[in-house]
This record gives sequence, C-alpha cells and structure tokens, in this order.
Amino acid sequence: MDPLTIIIAAPLAAAGLVAVIPGNYRFLIRVIALLATLLSAAVAIWVFAEFEPGASGLQFETRSVWVKSLGIGYHVGLDGVNVGLVLMGALVAFAAACVSREIAERVKEYYVLLLLMAGGILGAFLSWDMFGFYFFHELALVPTFLMIGIWGRGDDRVYATYQITLYLSFGALLVLVGLIAVYVQCGANTFDMVELHRHVAQTPIPAAAQRWMFPLLMFGFGVLVSLWPFHSWAPTGYAAAPTGVAMLHAGVIKKFGLLGLIRVALPLLPEGAREWIPVMGVLAVGNLLYGGWVAMRQSDLNRLLGYSSVAHMGFAFLGLASLTVLGVTGAVVVMIAHGFLAGLNFALSGYLRRVAGTTQMDRMGGLLDKVPFIGALLVMAMLAGCGVPGFANFVGELLVLFGAWEANKTWVVVAAWAGLVVGAVYTLRAVRTILHGPLRTELATVADPAGAWHRSAYALLVVALLLFGVVPGLLIARIEPDAKAVSGTIATGIEMKAAGEVGSIVRGAVAAAGVGVRQ
Amino acid sequence: MPAIEQLVWGILLLPLISAAGITLFGLRRPRLAGVLSVGAAAGVAVLSLLVFTGTPFGEWWECSAEWLSVGELNVPVALRFDPLSLTMGLIVAWVSFVIHVYSLGYMRGDRGFGRYFAGLSLFLFSMLLIVLAGNLLVLFIGWELVGVSSYLLIGFWYQRPAAADASKKAFLLNRLGDFGFLVGLLLVWSKTGTVDISELECKLALDPGLLGSLATAAGLLIFCGVLGKSAQFPLHVWLPDAMEGPTPVSALIHAATMVAAGVYLLCRVFFLLALPGSAALELIAWVGAFTALLAAVIATQQDDIKRILAYSTLSQLGYMVMAVGASSVSQPPVAAMYHLSTHACFKALLFLGAGSVICAVHHEQNIWRMGALGKKMPVTFVTFLIAALALAGVPPLSGFFSKESILASVLESNVAARHALFAVAVAVAALTGFYMTRLVAVTFFGPERTQIAGQARESGMILTIPLLILAVPSAFAGFWGIDSAYASQFKGAAVEHAGVFGRIAAAFTHSPVATLWGLGAAIVGIVTGLAVYWNAATDRLPEKLGLVAGWARNRFYFDELYAALNEATHEFLSRLADGVDRWVISGIMVRGVHGSIELAGRLLRLTQTGNIQIHAVLLGAGIAILLLIVLRH
Repeated sequence: MDPLTIIIAAPLAAAGLVAVIPGNYRFLIRVIALLATLLSAAVAIWVFAEFEPGASGLQFETRSVWVKSLGIGYHVGLDGVNVGLVLMGALVAFAAACVSREIAERVKEYYVLLLLMAGGILGAFLSWDMFGFYFFHELALVPTFLMIGIWGRGDDRVYATYQITLYLSFGALLVLVGLIAVYVQCGANTFDMVELHRHVAQTPIPAAAQRWMFPLLMFGFGVLVSLWPFHSWAPTGYAAAPTGVAMLHAGVIKKFGLLGLIRVALPLLPEGAREWIPVMGVLAVGNLLYGGWVAMRQSDLNRLLGYSSVAHMGFAFLGLASLTVLGVTGAVVVMIAHGFLAGLNFALSGYLRRVAGTTQMDRMGGLLDKVPFIGALLVMAMLAGCGVPGFANFVGELLVLFGAWEANKTWVVVAAWAGLVVGAVYTLRAVRTILHGPLRTELATVADPAGAWHRSAYALLVVALLLFGVVPGLLIARIEPDAKAVSGTIATGIEMKAAGEVGSIVRGAVAAAGVGVRQ
Repeated sequence: MPAIEQLVWGILLLPLISAAGITLFGLRRPRLAGVLSVGAAAGVAVLSLLVFTGTPFGEWWECSAEWLSVGELNVPVALRFDPLSLTMGLIVAWVSFVIHVYSLGYMRGDRGFGRYFAGLSLFLFSMLLIVLAGNLLVLFIGWELVGVSSYLLIGFWYQRPAAADASKKAFLLNRLGDFGFLVGLLLVWSKTGTVDISELECKLALDPGLLGSLATAAGLLIFCGVLGKSAQFPLHVWLPDAMEGPTPVSALIHAATMVAAGVYLLCRVFFLLALPGSAALELIAWVGAFTALLAAVIATQQDDIKRILAYSTLSQLGYMVMAVGASSVSQPPVAAMYHLSTHACFKALLFLGAGSVICAVHHEQNIWRMGALGKKMPVTFVTFLIAALALAGVPPLSGFFSKESILASVLESNVAARHALFAVAVAVAALTGFYMTRLVAVTFFGPERTQIAGQARESGMILTIPLLILAVPSAFAGFWGIDSAYASQFKGAAVEHAGVFGRIAAAFTHSPVATLWGLGAAIVGIVTGLAVYWNAATDRLPEKLGLVAGWARNRFYFDELYAALNEATHEFLSRLADGVDRWVISGIMVRGVHGSIELAGRLLRLTQTGNIQIHAVLLGAGIAILLLIVLRH
C-alpha cells in the first residue's frame, strides 16, 4: 500500500476495529488507538523526510477513479504545503491519543470517534479531489460535535455543542455551495484540483462569477477557521471540549479552512481574490487585535487559549491576504506551528485541569513548584505563543509581517502590536497567575506526570516547535516553491488586469465593515 | 582565516549547548550544571580572546551560515567581526566569566541552582548573538532572547510576588520597545531591500537619500528598541524593579551587558542615525541626557543598596546614549562605547560587591541598617571603593577617562543646544559623586546601625576573587587604549597611540575645559556627600530638600502614572473588546439568532394545535385575506 493511504487508513481501520471490540477491553482499545496513530505519525515523518523540496508535481501521488461521469475520484498526493501539515496533524493526533488516558466513560466510543477525527482530517489534508477534500473534513468534523456533547465539561457544554455544531455546519454549507459553484463554473467536469488548476490556467472562470464565488468560499472557510467576527464558537467550544478533542480541533482540523483557501479559493478564483483580499486583511487584523484584547480579560485558561488561537489565526489570514511569497509561506508556517502549539496548550491545560480540578486561573497559583515539568512546558508554550524566537511560531509570524508590509503597512503595524505586545500581556499574565507566586495550600498534592512515557506526548510537541523554530529551512524549503505558485497565480492575474473597475466593490465592502483601508 | 572561522562558531555554540544540556540533564544535578555553565563561559572567554588577537587591528571580516531564506528576504546567521564587536565581545565574555564564577559561590545551596545556570548560559548565548550579529534580524533574535533570559532570571525566585511581577514588567516594557524596533526593521528593509548591516552601510554610503524623508523615522523606530532594552525614559521603570533577581544577575544582565546592548545597537547602526537630513541623533541626545539626570536625582534618595546602583546604571546608560546622540559622522560615538566598556567593569564590580555585602548582613539590603562594614570586609570594601571612585570619575581610575571623553564629545558636538547638554552632563557627574559617596559612607563607614551589621564577616574566596579580578580593569582600563580600539571602527575618528602618561596628559590637553568641569563636578559631589553623610545616623537630606526629596524617593510617581495610563487606554480597549464579544457578538448576534428562530418556532406552534375549529378559523381568515388582495387588484 502506498504511504499516504496508510496515513489515512491506519486510524480509520483502527476505528473500525475498535468498533467491534467489546467495550470492557479498555486496555486493548487504547493500545490499538495508540498504535494506529503512531503508525500514521511514523509514516508521516518518513514521507516528510523523503519529500523532495522543489520537485515539480505531486509526490507520493495515488489516484483512482470512483464516479467517472462526475469526475470524482480518490486522489492523494503531497506538495510543499500539505507535507508539513500532514506531519503536524499526525503527530498531534498521536499526542491527543496519548493524553486521552483521562477518559473514563464510554472509552470505546470515544476512541472510535477520535480515530475517525484523526483519519478524516489527515485524509482531507492529503486529498487533491474536492469531493474527498470535503468528505474527509466532514468525517472529522461531525465526531467533534458528538464528543463535545458527550465527554464535554463544564456547565456550558450543551450550549457550546449547539453553537459549534450550528456555526461550523453553516460554514461547511457555505463551502459546499462554493465548491459546487467552482465545479459548475469551471465546466471541466472534474473535482480533481490538479485538473482544475490546469483548466483555469487556460480558461479562467468568468470574473463576474468569481466575484460572488470568492466570498462564499472566503466566509465559508473563514467560519471554519474562526475568522473574526465569526469566532465565538471557538473559545466556548474549546473550553467545553475534552482535552484530546480540543487538541485535534484547534490544532489540526481548524487548518482545513486555510488549506481550502490556499488550494481552491486563491488559485481558482484570482479575480475574486483580488477584490476581496482587502476585506480579508481587515478581518485578519480584527482576529489579531480583537482576539488578543479579549484574551487579556479571560480568567479561564481554556477560554484564554481559545481566544489566543483566534488571534493566531489572524497571522495566517494576514499572510494569505498579502499574496506575496513571503506572506503565503509565513501563513503555512503559522498553520503548522500553531497546530503544534495549540495541541500543546490544550494538552497542558487538560493536565492542569485534571490535577488541579479547575482551569480558572485565579484558583491556581504557584504551581511551578509542584509541576516543574508541566510548568516549564507551559512557560515555553506561552513564550512561543507571544512570538519568541526559537519556536516555529516566530518564523511564521516574522515572514507574515515582512510579506504583508508592502500590501498594507497599517495592517502590519497593528498586527505587530497585537503579536508583540498584546500577546505578551495575556501570556505572561497566565504564567504569573498559574505558575508564579506563592503556592495555594489546596494545591499541595499536585504533581507532574510520573515517568518518561507519560511525559513524552507533551515533550514531542515542544520538540517539534523548537526544531522548526531553530531550523526553519526544513519547512521553508518545502513550502516556498508552492507558495510561489499560489501567490504567482494571483500576481499574474493582477498584471493582466490593469487598474479600473476593481476598486469599487472592495471600497464598498470595506466601508460597510466600517474600517478604513490605506491604499 | 579558516582556523578562526572554526573557532567563532564555538563562541555561540558553547553556551547554547550548556543551556540545553543543563535543561535536559542538569536541573537536579547542581555540580553538572555548574561545570557545564562555567566551563562554557570559560571557553567563550578564551575563544573570544583568540579571535580578538587573531584579527589584525582595525580590520573586519564576516562569516555566515544559512538560516532563513524566502523570496527577497534572506537572513543568514551572519557574524561580523570588527573592532566594535570584537572589543565588546571580549568585555561581555570576560565579565560573564567572572560573574559565572562568582555565581557558583553566591547561589550555592539554592534549590534552583541548575535552573539559574541554564538561564545564565542562555543569556550568554543571546548576548553574544547580539554582539556578533552581522544582520539586523539576527540581532533582533538575540535581542528578544536576552529579553527572555532576563525574564527567566529576574523571576528566578518566582514564589515571591515582587519578583514574579518584576519579571513580567521587564518583559512587557521591553516588548513595547521591540515593537518599534521591528517596525523600524520593516521600514529599513522595504526601503533598502536588505537587513544585512554591511550591505545596508554600503547602500546608504552610495546613496544617502535612499531612506528619503523616512530617515528620521527609521532611526527613531530602531531607537525604540534601545528605549526598552537600555531602560531609557520613558521605558525606564522596569530596571529598578529588575533588582528582584539574584545579585549576580543584576551585575551581569542589568548593569554590565544586556542593558548596554542598546548603546551598542546605536553604535552598530550609527551610519543610519547619522544620515544627512535625519534629526534622530539630536532627540536621542536629549532622551539620554534627561534619563541621566532623572535617574541620578532619584538615586540620591533610594535606601536599597541594589536600587541605588540600579538608578546609577540608568543614569550612566543615559550618559552613554547622550554621548551617541552628541556624535556625528566627523565625531563618531567612540566615547559612548568607551564609557560602556569601563562602566561594564566597575558597575559589575559594584554589584558583586553589593552582593558580598548582602550575603554578609543576611540579605538585608537597606543601607541604613548597615554601617561600619569597611573594617570587617576589607577586600569587599577596597574593591567597592575603587569602583565607586571610578564611577564618580576620579583620576586616574578608568571611569575618569571615559567620562572625560563623553564630556569632551558633548562640548564639541554639533547639537544645537550643546551647552545646555553639557550643563546637564556636568550636573549628572556631580550627582554621581554625591550618591556614590552617600552609598559608601553609609554602608562602610559610620556607626554600626544594627546588630547584623556588627556581626558581618568578609565573604569567602569564591566571592572575593572575582571582586579582585574586576578591580583591575576598573582601576587601570583607562591606560589600555580601549578608545583607540573603538576608534579604528569608524572612519572619521583619530586613532591615538600614546603611552600611559601620554593618556593621562591627553585627557587634560585634549579638551581641558571639559576635563576641568568634570573633575570639579566630581569633587563637589564627593565633598557635599561627605559633608552630609559622614557619620550620619539617618538621612538628613529630606529635611533640607523637602518636596523634591519626597518625589525622588517615590521615583517621581512614574509607576503610578503608567499604571493609570495603561488602565485608561489599553486595559480599557481590552475591556471594551471583551464587552463587545460578550454582549454584542455572543449575546445579541449568536444568541439573538438562536433566540429569534426559537421564538418564531414557538409562535408558529400556537397555530398547530390540532384543534379543528382553530384550523377552520385560520382557513377562513386566509381565504378572506386572499380574496381581499385579489379583489384590490
């Protein structure tokens, strides 16, 4: 079997296997889940290492036709953008399976759904067929709702489940309409993205159609990535979700929307992109500044992390909105780095919740004495979150800022303020309240996870953040050629179309949003 | 120079390996941590000396390794070895080494011994990255990382709320400055297409108008980074609080090296600040002068031995920044770097001496609870006195020469109001003499004010030997020609080659007015200090000065002012955003949509009762309405 299919099939097959095992074989179920995700992760590492940067076309490609008349098929392959995402997704999925030890009820059902999530999202990342792309994402998304509803925590659980289900289903629906529109408007009679890219290069989709299709995809995918102001599902949902689910969703599944923008919306609809990109830039800055400011006022660690993840997505949107090689490369690095970081953050907060019984920050304090390992990792995660060099996030954010500077200086100045100052305020406050200061007496029995094995999941994610932060070339050599292709598609579009008619819609939309954009 | 090129990577890698090694294996093994960290510092000291002597005088070379390259942005880890970085690197490496050794004694028995040395190694790595960086983005990375290690070390005793708060404050205020620095880098990069220092210098030399009208803005934005890191007004408030860290950390990071990195950065990009048409330097000079004066005034009314030294550091940093601002292309900032170098030695010595005193009096830091320590701690006393006199600018100690060269450069500068600037500089020199005399007189002379002070004993060898080592450059560095090493960096500066006596004579012949004023100010300061504080039991100054002393004691209420300002602006916006999120977006929009749909459902349900009569009525009503509409048209 080819490696990419193994990456997808291992968790899915394990889900099928666990489904038929009696629920009281808890240990066996857990071992199967761990082995399956570990296998995915190992293969993902292998293909990442074997991937040849800059080689033309897809690598490790496999395709087979399914519905010939509609042009639907199974088509997986790696380019520079998804090779890193798959690596990140598979590692975070393994870590999520590791920390799911905390689940005590309905263990079998939990692991079936978790494995479906993992297999589904990896399938979505790898798919080059729009049908598979969408289908695999739904396969990952639907279990999320169930898991928050069943294994979720806190009083807000039911409301959170409703909200996240309705919000994300609505976003996915917009995406679906957009994708069908792409299929119909292209007229190439195929869902295959490679074919579609080739087709639009010769016969572009009519500009008038692009103009209404792009916002469908932008807001559809945007809702899935918590684009401001459609973000409020994220903090509520993550605060209520069980640890593993929060890790997988915030870290991995959320990146689907951004990948959709890179794969479908930007290259297939360059004219539409050109008109709507200023709106996206403004909303991205909204994510960054607004998300950061709201995060400053949170007293619950999970909600703080939720808002900080909303803020970080702003960097990814901003990078894409810049339409430069630097910006798009940076956006992909941010996607990968944030995946590791969000996984780590929610894993740590899940641990603290288990041992301290709360995620209310003011009910913790002085914990560094008791949990030096978890505490040190939390400090590192928080520093990574506010863009300290050495962690992969810094590289991504730096590239985004440099890439977006030419596009719009105001955005970049605001984004730099949000990233450097606001980000530091809420992350350091969290460290100060949770870890520093005198130890609270009721927390005297709290301790680190015992043994190297129970620490490995957390360590794995930090090592990944550090590795890509110190040696960013590993990611960048792979990403850059494809980022160039994405930004190049639009750039040529811009050259072809001289000034004129374009500005009006943008200005109207921006004026409607009530935000001034410097031209 | 292949042999040297192999060596230079060791300078960076040794402390990095030490930091990583301690973090992984040494946190619970104090011996291993100490060996790794001190070993790395010693290695760096030796290597830096080899590289320094291996590079011919006045020449420069570079080496680089690929790091990050995307599109038009190319950021190699470029290291630049020129007189500026070599001399600065040498000072950083040797002062660090001495303080590492001192730390072995000072931190002995602390539970966080391993963590302490991991932080110190990380700091050494980042600081050397700043010094050696040949690329402004690499410099920025070092800049951020020294901020992180400073954060970790100020908050070393994190259980103490004051230390935890101080570390947070230091990091945030630094971040505020770094924001400007980063925007400045973006500006420079977009206008010139490079962040490499040599390339930038070439491009600006070929076309001085490259930055156009943005030259001043670019210079001042980069200066924002200096405001944070070197704690210049208005971001000066973090440095005194940073004294919550262990004393050797205060000596190394918050006196000798990191806080001086700002001055170093200004000299690094001096060609950019001195562009024709840029007004940056003049503003820089005044910011420095104001900081120097403000901090010196506050220092006269502090009682905590470390805080006095911290305000003195602020004041001296302001002095150096002022000296950079008073420089020009024809008169490069040699004096600032000269003072930076001597200051690094004698201020580190002062802090280490203070540490020795603090150890002897059982962690009491209030000087009014000490007294008469001079006889009991002779080594600490003598070395402390040398450093204090050097700081006050007494000849022939090192500080005299560097301070004289700053005064001379201010007097000869192109700044419009240079006489006013000179007056401030002289006033600061007098205040320096005054507060150092106060510190020495109260701590080491006078009566024993407490029992603890009476029982104090001299510290052990591991603490006193570093003091003796640092006393040597503090006393004699004025004769070593550090200024000519720096002068060879800049084209416009005259390189003097004079002997020991030649140097003493040159200090007087070169700019006699400046020297005499400086010397006079120091004497006035010291004599006044002795008059007020010799054998004093309490501080008599507040009665005499009244309100001013009270304000100085309360640091002119800057902390309170900033807290209120932050509350009114940034915290307010954050509250506003939170309110909008809670009430408008989550409340009205999300819950509103949800609620209105539910309400519509409930209302419609009223019509679907299953009661046949109601259905008949509704049917009739519907027909009636339809008929009405049809008949109307």
